[in-house]
This record gives sequence, C-alpha cells and structure tokens, in this order.
Amino acid sequence: MSKFQKFKQSQVFGLLLLIFIAFVFWAFFKALAPQTFGDFNKLQTYLKTALYYAVGGCGLYFICVMGPFDMSVGANIVLSSVLAVNMSKQFGYAGLLIAPIISGVLVGLINGIVYIKLRISSLIVTAGLSLVYEALSIYATNGKEAILATNYRAFGDYPWNLVLALAAFLFCGFILKYTKIGTYTYAIGSNEVVAKNMGVNVDKYKVVAFTLCGFFVGIESILTISYGTSMTSASNLASMSRNFPPLMGTFFGLAFKKYGHPIVAIVIGEFIIELLFEGFVALGAPTTVQNIVTGIVLLAIVTMTIKPVKGAVVK
Amino acid sequence: MSEVLLHAEKIDKNFGVTHAVDHVTLDFFKGEIHALIGENGSGKSTFTSCLTGIYHKDSGTFTLNGKEINAKNQVDGNYQGVAVIVQEIGTLSGLSVAENIFLGKEDEFTKFGVKNTNAMNKKAQELLDAYGFNYIKATELIDNYNFEDRKLIEIVKATHFKPQILVVDETTTALGEKGRIELFKVMKQTRDDGRCVIFISHDLDEVIEQSDNISVLRDGVFIGTVKSSDVNTDDLKKLMVGREMSNNYYRTDYDEVVSDEVVLKGENLTVPGEIDDFSIELHKGEIIGIGGLSECGMHEVGKALFGASYDREGTVTLADGTKINDIKTAIDHSIAYASKDRDNESLVINDTIQDNICLPSLEDIKRNHILHGKDEKAFAEKFAKQMSTKMEGVHQFMSALSGGNKQKVVLARWIGKDSDIIILDSPTRGIDVKVKADIYQMMDTMRKNGKSIIMISEEIPELLGMADRIIIMKDGRQNGEFKRSEDLKDTDLIANMV
Repeated sequence: MSKFQKFKQSQVFGLLLLIFIAFVFWAFFKALAPQTFGDFNKLQTYLKTALYYAVGGCGLYFICVMGPFDMSVGANIVLSSVLAVNMSKQFGYAGLLIAPIISGVLVGLINGIVYIKLRISSLIVTAGLSLVYEALSIYATNGKEAILATNYRAFGDYPWNLVLALAAFLFCGFILKYTKIGTYTYAIGSNEVVAKNMGVNVDKYKVVAFTLCGFFVGIESILTISYGTSMTSASNLASMSRNFPPLMGTFFGLAFKKYGHPIVAIVIGEFIIELLFEGFVALGAPTTVQNIVTGIVLLAIVTMTIKPVKGAVVK
Repeated sequence: MSEVLLHAEKIDKNFGVTHAVDHVTLDFFKGEIHALIGENGSGKSTFTSCLTGIYHKDSGTFTLNGKEINAKNQVDGNYQGVAVIVQEIGTLSGLSVAENIFLGKEDEFTKFGVKNTNAMNKKAQELLDAYGFNYIKATELIDNYNFEDRKLIEIVKATHFKPQILVVDETTTALGEKGRIELFKVMKQTRDDGRCVIFISHDLDEVIEQSDNISVLRDGVFIGTVKSSDVNTDDLKKLMVGREMSNNYYRTDYDEVVSDEVVLKGENLTVPGEIDDFSIELHKGEIIGIGGLSECGMHEVGKALFGASYDREGTVTLADGTKINDIKTAIDHSIAYASKDRDNESLVINDTIQDNICLPSLEDIKRNHILHGKDEKAFAEKFAKQMSTKMEGVHQFMSALSGGNKQKVVLARWIGKDSDIIILDSPTRGIDVKVKADIYQMMDTMRKNGKSIIMISEEIPELLGMADRIIIMKDGRQNGEFKRSEDLKDTDLIANMV
C-alpha cells in the first residue's frame, strides 16, 4: 500500500476532509451572500444549533450502528423539554438538568424493552410509542406552551452550552472507545449471530443502546429548551420533524466511522448541514428549495465518503 | 491408550422432527487429533456445536478432565476449556483485530467499567507476533485484512489461551495453502501439548494424514472409531455411507468426441485485479474444468461469464450472437450459475426450499399470469426429490439444511429451470462423498443430454475426473490447457498452477 493510500485511510485525512467540506460550503455561500452569511458572529450561532443537534446525533449513533432505528427522538425532545421547564420551576437548575435526562433515559429504556419484548420493527415500535410520549407532553403542559424562565437559560448560550455539549461528546467518545458497550455496539451491528455466539447479550445491549440514545436526547432537550426558551406539546406525530436534524449528524458519523472518530464527524457534519440551511436562508431561497438541495448534498457527501462496494447488499 | 480428556455421554439434540444427534457416547484422549467424519447432515457439527456452546444439547453430558461442562456460548466454552474454529468467517467487521481476538473477554482488560484499550492492543500484538503473524496489526480494523488473514486471526483468537479441546470444523475448505499450513501447525502443537483436537473435514485424505483416530457419525448416530493408520479412504467411505462406495465415482470415459458446436464464447475478459485477458470457448455437451490456486482469478471467471462481474471488459457471446452483459440476460438465455459462496450468493437462506427452487422459474410456473401455491409446491418437490434432498418438506427453511443439502437445492433450482449452460463454482465444496457422487452423476447425465458445463474447482481429482478440457489459471491469466486423458496427472496441473 502506497503512503498516499495509507494517508487516505488515516484519521487525519478523515478530519481534513470534513473541515474541507465545511470550508467549501462556507466559501460558496460567503461568495454569494457576503453581507448576510458567515461572519464570525454568525458562525458562532450556526455552531450553537449544530451543537445541540450533534448531542442527539451521538445518541442515535448507538442505535443506528446496531441496525435498528428510533423514530421517537422528536417526541422525547418535546416531552423532556416540557418536563425540564416544569421541574426548573420547582428545583431551579437541578430540575432543568436532571428531569430531562431522567425522562430521556426512561423513554429510551421503554423503547428498548418494548422493542426487544415485542420483537417487531424498531421503526413501528418507536413511532407507536411517540404517540404516547406526545400525549404525555400534553398532560404535562395542559396543552399550553411551556416557557423557560429567563433566569434559567444559561445553557442556551456560550459558554455553558459548549461546556455541556463537550461533556456529552467526551462521554460518548469514552463509551465507544473505553467500555464494552462500544465494542458490542459495533459487534452487534456487524453480525448479531456471531456476537451472540461470543457471549454478547444482544438483547441487553440493544436496550442499553436505546437507553443511551434517550440519555443523549435528554441532554439535547436541555440545550434545545435553553436556546429556544419555549416548547409546545405535540400530537399526531407532529414531533417527527425533530427526528431528522440529529439524524443527519448520525449519517456523517456512520460515513466517517472508518476514520475512527465518529463523534467529531457528527459534530462537524451537523455544522455542515447548518451552513447549508443558513446559506440558503441568506440567499433568500424558498424552504422547499433549501430542503431539496440540502437532502441531495447530504446524500452526495455520504455516498462519496462511503464509496459503496459494487454489488454489496445495502439494506 | 492415553488418558481420556473429554467424555461425551449420550449427547442428544433435535431440531423439530430431525434427530440431529442421537445419544452419542464418545471419548477423546489427551494428545490426539481426533477426526469426526460423516455425510452432510450426519450430526458432526451439531455434536461439536453442543460442546462449544453454539447450540444447547437436549440431553447428555460432556465431562472434561473429570468435570462436567456445559457451555452457554462460545466464550463461556472458552472459559470451560473448549474452542472452535468454524468454516465460514467468524470475525466481525467494524472492530479492530484486537477487539476481535478478545471479543467477549473484555473483562480481562476492564477495571471499574473502563476498558484498557492499550493493554488489549499490546496483548493482541504479542499473540500475533508469537504465532508469526507480525504483519497483522492489532490496532487496525479487521476490515483491512483479506479472508485468509482473518482466518489466521481467528486461529489466534481460538487457540491463544490453550484450550483443552480445539474443534476445527471444516475450516480447511475455506483456507488456501498458507492458511492450511498454519492451521495444521497449531493442531499439531495442541496435540503435542497433551491436549486434543476434534477435526471435522470432508477431505478424507487430509483426515487420514492429519489425525490419529477417526470417529464416524451417520444420521446422528455414532458408528465407530478407527485408527487413522489402519484405514484408507474407501474404508472410511464405507463407514460413512453404510455400504460399499464405488472406488471411482468420476467419469470413466476417455475417448468421447466433443461436439464442434460452440455454445458460449468469452473473449478477452478482463476484470481489474481479478482476471486479465481471459478467453474461453464452451462446446455443446462439454464439461470444461477451470482450476488453479484459490486467488488465481478462476472464481471471477464464473461471474464474468454469467454477467455478474463489475467493470468487466471483453465480450461473452452465445451461439445466436446474444451478448451476455448482465445476469437477467444470462438467465433468460438459459445460463445457470452456482456460486462458491453458497449462503451469500446462491441461496436465500431465510426462505423456504420451495421459494429457492422456484425463484428463477416463476414465469414458467405461472398459469394465466397468476402464481398458484400448489404449482410452486409441486415444482419444488419434483426437483428437490430428483436431487434426493434430505428435508422435512419443501416448506422447510434453507437455514436448517446441511451444506450438502443446500447445494442440492441450488442444483435443483437450475435443473428445474432446464438451463443449457451451467457454471458451477466449487460444486462439491464442503460436501460429503455420497452427495459428491450424486452431483458427479448428475453432471455426467446433463453432459450426455447436450448440456454444457463450466466447473470451477480447487480440487484437482475432480478436474481430472470430470472435465473434457481443463484450463489452469495463474495470476488472473490462462496458464495451460489440457485435454481429457487417462495419462494426465495431478502434477501436470500443479506445475502450471504455481
């Protein structure tokens, strides 16, 4: 293998590639909308949004690597956010921080247990349970908008949003690299039967993956409510649209997994998606065009990065 | 005789109505390589799977060194002193080499829930170096290594902790020369250390050469144990099948004239990294054998002719001028292909025998544009029975069949389709002598009926015994062609392979 080929497989290459893609999009929109896009202050704002989506993306990564899927992330964010508001009224920052994490973990745990016990598609299980979580969010707010008091919004801005997000990223990276959970996540995703034969309790670790997803979505909820300051309860699967922003980061994580730093890929990936969205806003493009182009660009980036093997079965 | 190391007492295992292992009682001794042979579906792998924790036995006991063991899974089996190397790939993509070696044993490197990845990598590298595989890096993703190297990693994984019993389950069929040498080295070391190897293989010459004792299973029942030095392959065949097998189950004709009619022509076929400027002409009623070392490109030739290769250059043309550039055109023009990788490329494992046999023939089975379940069943039953497939019925799932019976289903499918050109890649890989004989018989009948066959094989006796013409490949190119002859020797072919 030549030195260049080796370099192309290295962690540094993966990181440089991500930074390069981000730079290309920044330069593109900056050239087209120099006044309204991409100055330092705006970049900070883009990063702020990217950070909280990336935290949720980290959670989804555990599930997506194993194979199943979680459609209840949006409902979890809505429920955990309104509970955060309610609990902050009684317990201050302790309520704001602890309630959504407990709520997120419980939602994840329930998702995992129901999925394992019923033995039906995770898509169906989590979509069905989303209706339940949405209903609970209506009970928690009596159908009214939950607004976070102004004196509890520190995690909506720098530096505390960054501190919380970084702590979440480090924790996620630690789990993946320095615990059995990380190894088993990849093992189950690679071949469930072989993993089982090696003594891996596949059902247990799937539940762990859903629970971890819920945990990180709980943290995403803290950042979401702190930044957005209010949350309206949802019904009829209206929360579904909240599933996709963190998922886009997860796609980047999966695509750059081979370079050995999926968490970095999730964060920069979310930033790239944010650059795209904000770039179109700066250009005044209609939302439909923004969505079309963003979707195509996302697919193009992931496809180019994965370089699928011809003839390989893709499910 | 030396001391008993493992005693199996009345081991019993059922899969539905199939009595896979029927109260088998058997002793394995310290310091021996003990081969376990039998036809496909005779219960060899099921027996050892019960020992190693892949399956759970219904009844009976395994006693190792006087202590009863009952492995819940493979890693639990490792801790109880037994390990297995399987035929197919047993490592996991997405994990590093070190993570694969210690999968399920992370606790050895974990303190307070934190895994010491560096210590694990260091230990794995030490093991790889000790086995002489120092070019394999413990920290690298296992995906960066080829099938053979991954098998070597599996050998390290299964043997580094010096298990009392090492099961080698049809592993050699998946290995090339280098891998076999390494595997045999480890087997001998295990025996010399006073431990025991249970060796499962369909290659009877290899079994006699490598083992000390041979036990035979038939239909899940223990038949007997013989000393390897006291038997020859014919004795073993007789024990396995339960009757005398013909000494030579290959074709016996040597002077038949092959038709001049060319039914398929491949010209200047090139697949980057696989085959280079390969040409072939197949005649009506001819069997062409293609042989070589496993990485010589011969397996890609089958795919290239079937239109299944990517980035193929050159042309594949039928007698009527039709160009074969994709699989659909190939099947529509009566070409059949059975891949070497049966489970992944030939069969829908999570589906029934019926669906697998009917799959390419649905258009022919349809009545008034509608598929009738009865017709499908009748079609599948007809060809499954024609191939003497051992099954509960055509509703049975493929995953429950043994390797040989799976291969029979593959062949039944193409016989059902009544294909004129059949490309068989390693048709008897991992298959017992009786099924082999059936397959050779079927090929001979097809040839006599004017069908043309390309048989890609790593088994030299098969090439010599069945082919009208043998093409030897080396480094992706043709490196010799031989006509069928009684005087043709295996050494003639080998000289062109290496």
